[in-house]
Amino acid sequence: MVRHEILIAGRGGQGILLAGYILGLALVKSTDYYVVHSEAYSAETRGGDSRSEIVITTSEEEADYMKVSKASIAVFMYKEQLLKYKSKVSKDALVLADSTYITEDMLEKTWKKLLVPFSRIAEEQVGSIRVANMVMLGVFSAVTGLVSLDGLKAAVKESVKPGWIDINLKALDVGYNTGLKLKA
Amino acid sequence: MSREADIGFLNSNHAAAEGALTAGVNFYAGYPITPASDLFEYLARKMPKQGGVIIQTEDEIAAINAIIGASWAGAKAMTATSGPGFSLMAESIGFAAMVEAPIVIIDDMRTGPSTGVATATGQGDVMQARWLSHGHYGIVALAPFSAQEAYDLTIKAFNIAERLRVPVVLLMDYVLVHTREKVRLKKPPEVEVWSRKKPRVPPEEYLPFKPDEDLVPPMATYGEGYRVFVESLVHDYRGYYVTRDDVYEELVKRLSDKITVNKHIVLDHVEYYTDDAEILFVAFGSTARSVLSIVRHARARGLKYGLFRPISIWPMDTDALLKAAENARKIIVVEMNYGQLFLEVDRVIKDKPVYLAPILTLDLPTPENILEVCRKWL
Repeated sequence: MVRHEILIAGRGGQGILLAGYILGLALVKSTDYYVVHSEAYSAETRGGDSRSEIVITTSEEEADYMKVSKASIAVFMYKEQLLKYKSKVSKDALVLADSTYITEDMLEKTWKKLLVPFSRIAEEQVGSIRVANMVMLGVFSAVTGLVSLDGLKAAVKESVKPGWIDINLKALDVGYNTGLKLKA
Repeated sequence: MSREADIGFLNSNHAAAEGALTAGVNFYAGYPITPASDLFEYLARKMPKQGGVIIQTEDEIAAINAIIGASWAGAKAMTATSGPGFSLMAESIGFAAMVEAPIVIIDDMRTGPSTGVATATGQGDVMQARWLSHGHYGIVALAPFSAQEAYDLTIKAFNIAERLRVPVVLLMDYVLVHTREKVRLKKPPEVEVWSRKKPRVPPEEYLPFKPDEDLVPPMATYGEGYRVFVESLVHDYRGYYVTRDDVYEELVKRLSDKITVNKHIVLDHVEYYTDDAEILFVAFGSTARSVLSIVRHARARGLKYGLFRPISIWPMDTDALLKAAENARKIIVVEMNYGQLFLEVDRVIKDKPVYLAPILTLDLPTPENILEVCRKWL
């Protein structure tokens, strides 16, 4: 009996919704987990709140409540949304935060914290800040083991526009390797 | 088949669209409305490639009339809308029931009344689904609570519409239709796909509204060589307008009784922990997911809670409900309106208290939201 509640939050334009979709699609296609994915976003194209909620369970019945009540894994890509949604995160959660924008003192002491400069890595090592979300997913895969790198790559190939596939795949690789080093 | 091929990651609009395709939909007419538009868009990408016809009409009235016409031309026809558009279809729902046109209508419920909040969820169309049009007629309404059920029940909706020649409504809600879930897609023979009965007599002997023993008349469609008559006035077996008591009484009774007589293909519900339940919740749609969470957590603490979840809302399996309520001290109906399904449950259960827990929030209630409303009875 397993129920993971995953919250991914950031500002509009950071690819929060796509990250949630890719993670959900990869879980559905490459694992036996039951997956429920909902999104919330504000009307602005950029800058507003953006949130993906993913519930993963080993059976359909455990996926009863469709949203996150207390996240067991949280990803914060920007500081405003960290402050706004930190109450939705459980005390002993694993929290990944983009240290490009977030400093350790902003995080709860009880969390298992992992600060990674997703945005800076995307810009400097992959070539575009726009793929910070995929760098994050690569780290997520390496650190949590819930979804494989190959599963994420297949999901990217299935759903990202052809011109953007390669850079997203590269971002996943860079993130995954970063995650492996952090784990070690 | 590989696991990937038949597994989808779909919201309930897309899952219902896939269900319609599995059931053989080949005509769709609709008018865009939140939150049903992405079902329309999804089918618009897929149906033409499979030889189907999909049109955007000038409004919802034209949409439902188009699908009734297409159904009489032999198509498996459907539309999808939300409360405001469903209201516009009122007159033609009764027309479809009266001329016994097999059609499927998906109603993605949002808040009301009127235009309410377009982007917020609700369950206020329960009675609307049953009594939208004037006069007395039978109708079927099914309510999924997951994307998988949206897929499965859309197939069932087509099957019932075809088999009984009735309008069938799929009642979904905003939360459900915009949440993605794992869905396993199926193909015949794993899933049954039914089509309407055809005349078994030569054209000169055919009476278009003469029922078989199951109270459903075989349906010839345009172009098959049979005389087809589509009459919305009170009509006899020939389809002729007749103002006689016996004809009127038989027709009106049959339009409802054909559903009762064939209820074994309609009635559907799921029970959770009802065997020894002392507190029995009744809920449907996405709200039932939150209630199920309450029940499962209560059970883990030794509290005897149970959940009765009707899937066929109209008609509801009232015998099963009574049985599930046998050991209960209290029945609590949780729904996102101010008491609609409650009226049906309260009508059926006479020997113990039935309470209404109306949830009037704009987003899916958390289990805690619901518990707060129910605490005085627990």
